Amino acid sequence: MTPRTDNRAWLLVLPAMTVLAVVGLVPLMAVFNYAFFDIFTLQSRFWVGTEWFAELVGTSDLYAALGRSMLFSTLVVLVQFPLGIGIALIIPRGRLTGSLVLMLVAIPLVVPWNLIPMIWLNLLHPTYGTVAQVFDAIGFDFNYKFNAVHTYALLVTVDTWHWIGLVVILTYSGLSAIPLSYYQAARIDGASRAQVFWHIQLPKIRPVLLMALLLRVIDSLMIYVEAFGINAGGPMGATAFLSLELGEEINAFNYGPAAARSVLYFLLVLTVAWLFRVAMQREVR
Amino acid sequence: MRTLAFALLAVFIIGPLMQAIVLSLTVTLPHPGVTVGDWSLVNYRNIFDNPALVASLHNSLTYVTANVILTLIVALPAAYALSRYRFVGDRHVFLLLLAFRITPPVVLSLPIFLLFARLGLLNSSFGIALVHCLFNIPIAIWILESFISAVPREFDETAFLDGNSLSRFFVVHLLPVIAPGVGVACFFCFIFSWVEVVFARILTSTGGKPITMAIDALFTFQTDIGLVMAMMVLSLVPGVALIWFVRNHIARGFQLRA
Repeated sequence: MTPRTDNRAWLLVLPAMTVLAVVGLVPLMAVFNYAFFDIFTLQSRFWVGTEWFAELVGTSDLYAALGRSMLFSTLVVLVQFPLGIGIALIIPRGRLTGSLVLMLVAIPLVVPWNLIPMIWLNLLHPTYGTVAQVFDAIGFDFNYKFNAVHTYALLVTVDTWHWIGLVVILTYSGLSAIPLSYYQAARIDGASRAQVFWHIQLPKIRPVLLMALLLRVIDSLMIYVEAFGINAGGPMGATAFLSLELGEEINAFNYGPAAARSVLYFLLVLTVAWLFRVAMQREVR
Repeated sequence: MRTLAFALLAVFIIGPLMQAIVLSLTVTLPHPGVTVGDWSLVNYRNIFDNPALVASLHNSLTYVTANVILTLIVALPAAYALSRYRFVGDRHVFLLLLAFRITPPVVLSLPIFLLFARLGLLNSSFGIALVHCLFNIPIAIWILESFISAVPREFDETAFLDGNSLSRFFVVHLLPVIAPGVGVACFFCFIFSWVEVVFARILTSTGGKPITMAIDALFTFQTDIGLVMAMMVLSLVPGVALIWFVRNHIARGFQLRA
């Protein structure tokens, strides 16, 4: 079924594009504009050309933040994908248990983001936190405030708690699209469970997995509220991700440098998305 | 084996919430008529005695509803066009949608604040509803497009032959068929709008605060952690209720199209 060619269809897309232009395109252009100015108040500003960019690219600061962000995204992907795919594989198809498990993993998705650090820090509260008491009992000295490894462990755990549902739902969605006849054919050929996974399931869910990967990589690059709530970028800036450093500049009213940072940050995110799109198109073809 | 895995998963997901629920039912600060440490519903009663908190519940519900309605109104025709027609630039529309979905809120926070100040949309629920369209319209279009594409084209043609106009076809014929898709789209728009904090914070500097910001404001020198947790539990109720309604369709919305 090939779609019909008709340029009047643009009229149907127009309302959506108009709203997006107002809340997306116009502010983006403003950011781009600010990046070339030194801004004292928004009424008095001075053209500084590419000075902010030169400053950013010239110091190691930006690369360090980029490195930290990429480390976090890598950890997130390495933990959440095997786990999420594993869960999706064992969810029984089309039964009550199946919908119950999907419901369960979706619950953290509806928790407001600034409450997530609250929930987890409660567990680690020295007087009434359950997890803190367990750690105490087994004599494990968990110190997320001053130990960078522990901060990362906590952040990855919290992020996994929050987002594992999305990976499971997307993977499950991909798995349910595989026709039963594929499995029957595999059974007749005497394929093992692992062979079915590697040769039937994995290739079939690759496009959905790419989509999930894109969303997880981008959203983990954007992490702000949770990382800020848990340790505000500490200890010693060990978890000061791109978005946190940007937030800091904005809070300090350094609008020019903040805008320059935003432009680079946006370009980075866009590049990642574009790479994924190229990969996806190859996948569909 | 499988049961054990699901049990572990349930503990991991529900466990942290349990602590919050227990705290919400515990008296954590002295209040008249109760002793600290006792089980009580006093925290929930205090929420409804506090006008700021009641207002925040109201604000959150208002902007989320406005956002979902606005998003659906513009996303439905767009999804239909992308599913049924080829037109100049249709492939670019998808890349554009992707770009908007992935724009980090913190990048846009300052210009959006200035723009909305000029438009008089600060401290209003409508302002938040509008800005959340930035990531909800792309999501809604993706989901609806995949549901509309699952409907055979003959379905449209029969309806048009019967003399339906495009708008009548949408409301009377198409909507009932893709109702599960609309449900899933509503669900995802709801959660992304409900949980979002960065825009909600900058756009409500003095008034119109949503639940998330009202909870932040509860942290003072002597925080009533029980009240905070009660508020948190309340903030989960609409989302969990929605999950229940879309539970059977939730996995269908993401069949991929590049």
